[in-house]
Parts: sequence; structure tokens; C-alpha cells
Amino acid sequence: MLQLLDAADGRLVGEEDAALAVAKDELVQAVDDGDAVWPSLNLAPYFTFGRLRPLHTNAVIFAFAGNGMFAAIYYSSQRLLKARMFSDLLSNIHFWGWQLIIVAAAVTLPLGFTQGKEYAELEWPIDLAITVVWVVFAVNFFGTLARRRERHLYVALWFYIATIITVAILHIFNNLVIPAGPFKSYSIYAGVQDAFMQWWYGHNAVAFFLTTPFLGLMYYFLPKAADRPVFSYRLSILHFWSLVFLYIWAGPHHLHYTALPAWASTLGMIFSVMLWMPSWGGMINGLLTLRGAWDKVAEDPVLKFFVVAITFYGMSTFEGPMLSVKSVNALSHYTNWNIAHVHGGALGWVGFMVFGMVYWLVPRLYQAPLYSLRLASTHFWISTIGIVLYVVSLWAAGITEGLMWRAFDDTGRLQFPDFVETSVRIAPMYWVRMLGGSLYITGTLIGIYNVYKTWAARPAVYALAEVEVPVPTWRRPRPAASDQRALRPEAEAPAHWHRRWEGLPMVFSVLVGLAVVVASLFEILPTFLIGDNVPRIAAVRPYRPLELYGRDIYIREGCYNCHSQMVRPFVDETVRYGEYSKPGEFVYDHPFQWGSRRIGPDIHREGGKRNHVWHWHHFRDPRATSKGSVMPAYPHLFSDRIDWGEIQDRVDAMAMLGTPYSKAALDDAPGQARAQAEQIAAELAAQGGPTGVADREVIALIAYLQRLGTDITQRAAAEQAAPGGK
Amino acid sequence: MRLSELVSAMSPTQLTEVALLIFVGVFVAVGVRAWRTVPSERERAARLPLDDGEPTGGRR
Repeated sequence: MLQLLDAADGRLVGEEDAALAVAKDELVQAVDDGDAVWPSLNLAPYFTFGRLRPLHTNAVIFAFAGNGMFAAIYYSSQRLLKARMFSDLLSNIHFWGWQLIIVAAAVTLPLGFTQGKEYAELEWPIDLAITVVWVVFAVNFFGTLARRRERHLYVALWFYIATIITVAILHIFNNLVIPAGPFKSYSIYAGVQDAFMQWWYGHNAVAFFLTTPFLGLMYYFLPKAADRPVFSYRLSILHFWSLVFLYIWAGPHHLHYTALPAWASTLGMIFSVMLWMPSWGGMINGLLTLRGAWDKVAEDPVLKFFVVAITFYGMSTFEGPMLSVKSVNALSHYTNWNIAHVHGGALGWVGFMVFGMVYWLVPRLYQAPLYSLRLASTHFWISTIGIVLYVVSLWAAGITEGLMWRAFDDTGRLQFPDFVETSVRIAPMYWVRMLGGSLYITGTLIGIYNVYKTWAARPAVYALAEVEVPVPTWRRPRPAASDQRALRPEAEAPAHWHRRWEGLPMVFSVLVGLAVVVASLFEILPTFLIGDNVPRIAAVRPYRPLELYGRDIYIREGCYNCHSQMVRPFVDETVRYGEYSKPGEFVYDHPFQWGSRRIGPDIHREGGKRNHVWHWHHFRDPRATSKGSVMPAYPHLFSDRIDWGEIQDRVDAMAMLGTPYSKAALDDAPGQARAQAEQIAAELAAQGGPTGVADREVIALIAYLQRLGTDITQRAAAEQAAPGGK
Repeated sequence: MRLSELVSAMSPTQLTEVALLIFVGVFVAVGVRAWRTVPSERERAARLPLDDGEPTGGRR
């Protein structure tokens, strides 16, 4: 039976959009890089590093990788299944819905609408839109599976199924919030539990958004480009199931030496190290697919991009488990080493896989030869050099700052007690990083030009290809029982039980879902159900209404992108910052704000360290109080006024989450907030600061900072003051 | 017995041991499955991207 398949089916979703997205993302990155070495580039309030960095990470993940992934899935699935997509309408809703979500992110994040959780910053209305669009995508994909004419589900499709199911689970459970306004919400989890959920999500977003779909892409496009089948189909089966079973456990390695229970942290480390095996199995499978075809690599830009991408996959999946080892992590965590690691993966693995795919697709979709092989090759070399400069400079920066933070001199004191010393020391490496990023974006722009010129040379009318596809005989009604054995094809013999699952997409999908859910429950449930994991501290009290409002400003400005709130139990950290952080201190933190990076110092013990007027001047001009600081100034905090009317809704939302506010706070939160603001303003004036500023946003932020980490010291003071105290 | 009681009754070590056993069991099953595939079936599956009616080869 002959069926017509439109050669341009894959054009429905995103390959051009992915290329534009990477250009936009790299532009944001370039501004971010500049912000880090040149603080005056921070144009408050909308274009500060704290607001742009979430836009950058969301653009990489959802705009660039997302569109690249969708293009790969739509193009390859139809060909592997020998069936057109289930619904063109759903395809269009998916495409346009996703682009609207990206636009919404680009608008809301600079405006400061954020949930304050890394890679999950988008506020609840956008999260709902993501859920709807993802369901549309899933229905379209599984509908196509149901209508397929090829019985066997090729391994690339397994990776797509795992992506669709797992991302849905991750997105829903990490984004459960209580809304406190149209663009304001609080996570239903708090402190340790929120951290656990966030990094279960965060790590598996890397696994199932940035890895599995691109492995599917690799297993489809690499054999096509190399004109030979994958090296070992057996290895691909092991690769898939091992990744699905192992990845989901590894999230806690993002939280070593924090207030997370040690058993969970160790579990994350062990499973991360185990991930080496399947990841390198996949890399080797990819590279060996090119056996006998290496001569093509020298002249074919598609294969060049794929080879370097797979090499970066191997490098990143070696580096990741290494960074998850506790002793290595003690040095690397919060440093630029992590940033180097993620950019090796994002620019090298994901970026180059997408570029290879685009160069393979564009001539075929537009039925015109690629405009310039030389330009494609130039793109490859410029971007490769760019990545190397980018990653190596950040390795150097990360190891430098990690060693400086922990260095003691001969007298037993911190060798670099002023945090700014490390910022100044690594500034040259930021310049190299900026050069590397600029080269990468230059290569991308060359690629976009090449794609445009190829598109411009397309024929006036596309030729329709006639393709022979098999009749789905396996869907016919089963013969009588007596005839079954004789007619059963080899693949349906009893020994091939798994082979049958592979032919039953729903059963296969349920099994993938089970693997993810079971692993998640084993990991997450104990933290929620075993009380000992988060011991309560009686002295820890909810934030007062003004402090809560100030905390929301902290989240809005994205302060967690540069400051951690987690003093690890290391001598150098307790000497530098104060008492190490305890799990019970975060029980009212919706969401947690531990951060993952220290461009500035940890501030969990900031409360009471400095007076109000120091903070006042620090926010106005950080370099006036901390010479060499790269922190932006926040002039809008001095002009924008506190919205007293919003405070009650926020306190009520927190109360709904179980925060034990007093009746007085529930009856009149704005009144309590005003009283505290007046008190702080009076203290500020008494310290030589300005007068009449009780209604400015900076006052609420100072209230929050002065509260940070002080509950346990207040308890100690109370015990000392009490009769018979220590 | 409620789920919270069951989980609380187990130590984190026991939980992780059970989890590890589940993982090893599945891994062995998948390994056996991969090993027992029929060569012709495997080769046909591996060739699916090359037999979808699209021209192959990186350059065009």
C-alpha cells in the first residue's frame, strides 16, 4: 500500500525557532556575563543579573532545548512510525502555545514575577499553560503511536516516551503552590522538603529535558547522517533502562553538606556515580556508530557537530558524577565549576546536537542544497573554540574561588576573609568567558545566515515524495487459537515478552512511569514522613508580615542567584559566616532560598551583623560599602513604596500552608507591618540615615535581612538570660 | 498499617536497600532481555531510521 508522506511534516515545529532561541539566549548570556564583570551594566530594575539569569536559564531549557527537542520528535516520530501526526491542529496548538509561554517568560521574569526556584521560576498561570500545552503534545504523540504502521517502537521513541511522562510528573509536583495573587504564589513545600523537591525536579529536568530527548535525537539522526545503523541495539536497550532507573535518584547530590539528611545525600551520590556506566555506554554506542565512516566526519559539518556533541555528552556525564562525590563537591559547590559543567552540557551536548540536526534537516525540508558548507564549517570551529574558552575559564574560576574560600593562613585565620577578594581574583576569567560566549553566538549567527540563504533558494513549489509504507498487518484480528502458533511471527514468540511490551506503547509508558514514580517515592517519602529528618526548633518563628514582604522582594530581585542561605558544616564556613545551618530553621521558608551559587557571600547569618544604615548604603551603591563588589545597585527600592494592601493576602496564603500566625497577624497584617517599618525607619534615622522612609521597599528588605538566621541565637540568648541558663 | 507508619518503621538504610534490590532486579531483567534478542530482529530494529523512505547521508 502506498501512502503519501509530506516531506515537510517535520517543519511544523521549531527547528528555525530553536536557532533563533539560541541567539536570544546567548544574547541574554552575554549581558549576564557583562553584569558579572561590569556592574553598571545592570540596568535596574528590569535588567539586573538576578532577574536576567532566570530568563537565561529558562531560555536555554524551554526555548532553545525545548524547540530543538520538539523539532526532532515531530520529524523523527512520523518517519519511525510511518504515520502522520495524530492531529495537525494539536501540532499547531503545541507550537504556538509553547512560543507564547516563552514570550510570557521573557516578559514576566524581568518584571520580577518569579516563584524563586531555579528552572521553575515561572509563576503559576504560566505553569498552568505549560501543563495544558504539554498535555496537548502528549495526546498528539501518543495518538500518533496508536495510529502507527510500524509495530516496533525504535529506541529513539522510548526516549521520547520517557521525556513526555517524566517531565509531566516533575513539572506538576514541583510547582504545587498556593496563589497569593495573579502573579504571586508560595510553594506548598517548605525548607528541606522544598529543597528536596526542587532538586529532584532540577536534576531530572537536566535528565529528561536536556538528555533523554537528545539521546533519542542521536539514535535517529546519527545513523541517518552516517548512513549506517546504530552500533549496538542491545547496548541502546541497556542505555535506556539504566538511565530511566538511575537518573531519578541522583537529585540530592545538589544538596551535599546542606541541611538535607545525610542518607539522602549519600543515596544521590551513589546513584550519580552509577550513572557513569549507562552514560558512557550511550556515548560509546554513538561514537562506534561512526566506525568506518570517520572519513566523512572530516568533510561533513553535520557529523562534525554530532561527534563533538557526543564527546561533550561523555565529558559532562563524567564530570557530573565526579562533582557528585562529596569530597569533590565540598570544593566545587557554589563555585563557577558548576557553571562550567552545565555549559559543557548545554552548549556542547544540546547545542551541537541541535545544530547538527538543523544542518541535516534544512536542505531536506526546503529541498535546496545547503547554501555554504564553508560557513557551516566556520560555525562549527568558531563555536567549538568558544565553548572551550568558556568552559576552561570557568573551571579555573571555580577551582580558584573554591580554594580561596577554604584557605587558612599560618596563624589559623582565613587567608581571604573578605569575600570580595575572590570576586576580584576571578574577574579576568569572566572576561575570557565573555569572549568564549561571544564566539559561540557569532557561530550561531553564521548558522542562522546559512539557514536563511538555504531557505531563500527553496523551489517555488515543493515536490511531494511518494513513500511506501507497510500495511499494519499486526493489527488484524487474531486468528483462531488453533492457528495462532503457526501464524505468530518470530517476534511474538513467548520468550519475547519485552518485545511485546515494546509493541504496546501504553504498557511500555506505564512501566516507564512506574520506574520514575517508585524511585521518586523511595527517595522523597522518608523526608516527608519521618519526623526526625527535620527536627523542629522551638525558637524558630514565622516571619513577621513586613519580613515576609521583604522576603518576597528578595525573591523578586532573584537574590538567590548570587547568595546562598546555607552555611555548611565546614570550619572555613563557620568562621566566615557563623553557625552552620540546621534543617529546623527553614520550616517556614516557602520556598526555600538556599541557592546554588555564591557570586556574593552566604547570608544565612546576616541578621544583626551590620546596622540598618550599612544596608541602606549597600543597596544604594554596593561599592561604597564593599569595594570591588559586583553587586548591582537597586535604586528602585528607594523610590518604590510598600504595597500595604498586598500584605494581608500573603500572610493569609502562608497561613493556609500551615504557618502558625497569631490572630493579630491574621486580623491586621498591614498594621503589624507598618509598626515594624516605623521601628526600623526610626532606628535607621538614629544611626545617621535618612528620615521619613518607613514606606520604602528597602525597609522591608532590611527587615528580612536583619531577621535572617537569628532565631537560634535569640534562643541561646534567652537561655543564657534565664535563671540557671548556660 | 498506614503508609506513614510503614515508612517510619523502616530505617533509611532499609529503604535504600530495598530500592537497590529493585534496581538490580530490573537491571538484570533488562540485561537478559537485551541478551536474548534475536539477531535478525535486532538488525531490523536498528535499521528502522535508515528504512523510513528518507535519503540518508550527512551532505546534500
